[in-house]
Amino acid sequence: MNRRIGRVAWLPLLVALGCTRPAEERTRRDLDVGHAQSAALDVEVASGLAALRALNRSQLALWLSAPSVEVSLVVHEALNLELHVENAMAAVELTDLDVGRSLPLASGQGKTKKSWLLTLTPGSWHFRLAAPNAAENSRFRFALLSDVQEAIDRVQDIYRVINAEPELDFLLGAGDLTDEGEVDQLEEFQRELATLDVPYYTTLGNHELAERPPAYQDWFGRANFQFVHRGVYFTLLDSASATIDPLADDWLDSWLANGRKSVHVVAMHIPPFDPVGTRNAGFASRAEAAALVAKLAEAGVDLTLYGHIHAYYSFQNAGIPAFISGGGGATPEHADEIGRHFMVFELDPASGISSSKVVRVDL
Amino acid sequence: MRISRTREGKPETALGSCVVRRVSVACVRVVAALVLLSVAIQSTPVHAVEAATSPALPPKAASPPDEPLTRDRRVAAGLVLVPGVAVHGSGHYALGQQKTALALLITEGIGLALLIGGVSTVLASGNSRHLAGPAVAATVFGSGLVLASFGADLYGTLATDGDAVDRLRRPPPRLESEFGYRYVADPHFDYGHFVVESLTLRRGYFRLTPSAWFASDASNVRYRVEGAYRLLGLAPGELGKRAEHLDVVLGGMHHRYLPERFQRSGLELSLDTRFDFSRFGDTLRGSFIDLALGYAVAKVTYDVRGQRVPADTDDLLLARVGLGVALRGRAAAGSEARVYYDHRHDDYAAGFLTPGRVSGVFGKFGADLRWFFTPSLGVLVDAQVGSALVGGFSLLLRDGSSRTPGGSP
Repeated sequence: MNRRIGRVAWLPLLVALGCTRPAEERTRRDLDVGHAQSAALDVEVASGLAALRALNRSQLALWLSAPSVEVSLVVHEALNLELHVENAMAAVELTDLDVGRSLPLASGQGKTKKSWLLTLTPGSWHFRLAAPNAAENSRFRFALLSDVQEAIDRVQDIYRVINAEPELDFLLGAGDLTDEGEVDQLEEFQRELATLDVPYYTTLGNHELAERPPAYQDWFGRANFQFVHRGVYFTLLDSASATIDPLADDWLDSWLANGRKSVHVVAMHIPPFDPVGTRNAGFASRAEAAALVAKLAEAGVDLTLYGHIHAYYSFQNAGIPAFISGGGGATPEHADEIGRHFMVFELDPASGISSSKVVRVDL
Repeated sequence: MRISRTREGKPETALGSCVVRRVSVACVRVVAALVLLSVAIQSTPVHAVEAATSPALPPKAASPPDEPLTRDRRVAAGLVLVPGVAVHGSGHYALGQQKTALALLITEGIGLALLIGGVSTVLASGNSRHLAGPAVAATVFGSGLVLASFGADLYGTLATDGDAVDRLRRPPPRLESEFGYRYVADPHFDYGHFVVESLTLRRGYFRLTPSAWFASDASNVRYRVEGAYRLLGLAPGELGKRAEHLDVVLGGMHHRYLPERFQRSGLELSLDTRFDFSRFGDTLRGSFIDLALGYAVAKVTYDVRGQRVPADTDDLLLARVGLGVALRGRAAAGSEARVYYDHRHDDYAAGFLTPGRVSGVFGKFGADLRWFFTPSLGVLVDAQVGSALVGGFSLLLRDGSSRTPGGSP
């Protein structure tokens, strides 16, 4: 009896301990993204930069999380495989890294969906999906859009304006793509994306957490990841629970080291510090927030991007330029007169931010 | 708004208007609501204070109840749950304590109004930067009052030894010290073991409390000093019917995180009050609610290797609600147990995390127990759950010269 009471008494402590790492489960799930095995072939996406949507003897479907993605295949038996890729850059090419040549495109549906037909013999194969200019260290532009949530029905207005922006390489997202993160909402989000001319690389927000574990990672890939585009490092972190899980924090150390000598952009959903501290729409712990900012400052991060607050804020943390842009259509903060908006940045791999602007949609 | 107070040998004075003007509108409303509530329900002065030298009053007999619906306290406790969970005061109503029941129902109503007003303001304004602070404060206090009125109903329905509480009254100590240990389990920081020290000095209505937390490996240290002036309530040497107060508190803090290369230094101003539920009826003797509301601002400086980076300014809302009971039995005067919610996010426990959609907004939840073995020696055991878990104990020493009524120490 006493032993039973003892076990019950420990329960609240275990629950409380679980609450100190609410993002642990989904951070560990990041490790599963981009890997799969079947009787016919094994797939490994380098750094988990794509979600595997389908894998069978005739098709491998990927949702890309980055402009450049390397895919390794171990083929167990001869196959004719359709490689179907979504969320790709318009000019994406498939290169066979073992022979160093590009493979012909089989079909392109819209600007971000591509397919190739591969004839594979047993053995190891290595491919790269990337635009021809992905490795050039030259100036480029990207946009930032976050916090669409319940306004998904009106998002086409925003996509039309984004499509009209010249020379955007991609759209970056700081979370809250959907209202609850349920499968039907993720499906709807993907359907609406069909009209967007550029890929949308995102992490998740707290509105993707209604399901546990969140379906987001099955659909759109990792919540914590890093990619390099034209010499600039982009690190996306999962702060949807108002904290960074210690495991992701360890990954961040190596990602910061990667980008230390380059221009480095870090994006996440909930900002470490809310510029309006009494509101506390930032991290749960101000100490964790300051420790993260100190780490970013020491690594020479050039730009931090956030969502979560449905308004536009421009400020600095430890001297790092910081922007909150939650203009995807979710209930706006009333004091903010900008309303639905997105941001456009021009980056120079040699010097950092060349320009930034807010593009209002409801003018 | 004028709030009067009565102190022996002192005329009634208006509550320092300059102080009131500096606190938020929400605070004024909450304090006014509580004062009006007590005035409406009680005809006794806000503070009738007897000098410590005055003869002790005999324990006050419980006022005769109205015709009760039941005399069985177990039945009344059941009514506290149904329909009492919705209609607070049901237990007291059933026992014939209708005035107390009405006071608890009004408290619940005020709490619900604050709670609904706060939440709806946040939602309707899109968590506006101009309204979020007062709205969150209203939500915290509203939730606290709703829980307090329910808890007080349950307490008053079941507690039968209010006289014991009266026998354990004592004036605030002039000197109080704490020395203890805390364990902090925070997955983001390497520290764990802390030595905690504090000293409280009271002179008249002034209080000064320096305190410090030292990590065992010296990697982390937090210094804090509080100065307070008692606007309402007892000073050392004064003995009152109720151990309640309203203090204005000015605090300073310096917190160093050596391995993480930053430090946080700040100032804060708050109003800190304890309301004794015995104002609502004798059955509630020994139960109380603590409320605190304030504002803190801090400078965060970074010690980044090889470069100088600008410091950040960070501010936060201070709001705290605690519900507690005075302990009796073998406990000496001043022993109490309390559960509380603390909205601050800048200390070791920080804010509460959840795996769901709403995480980080809430502050921490905690509980503490003060148990005095003798008039001058006791222990404090406390635990907090936020983004970190904090727990530990302290040895408490205080001057034991103050007399308690009835001659018992």
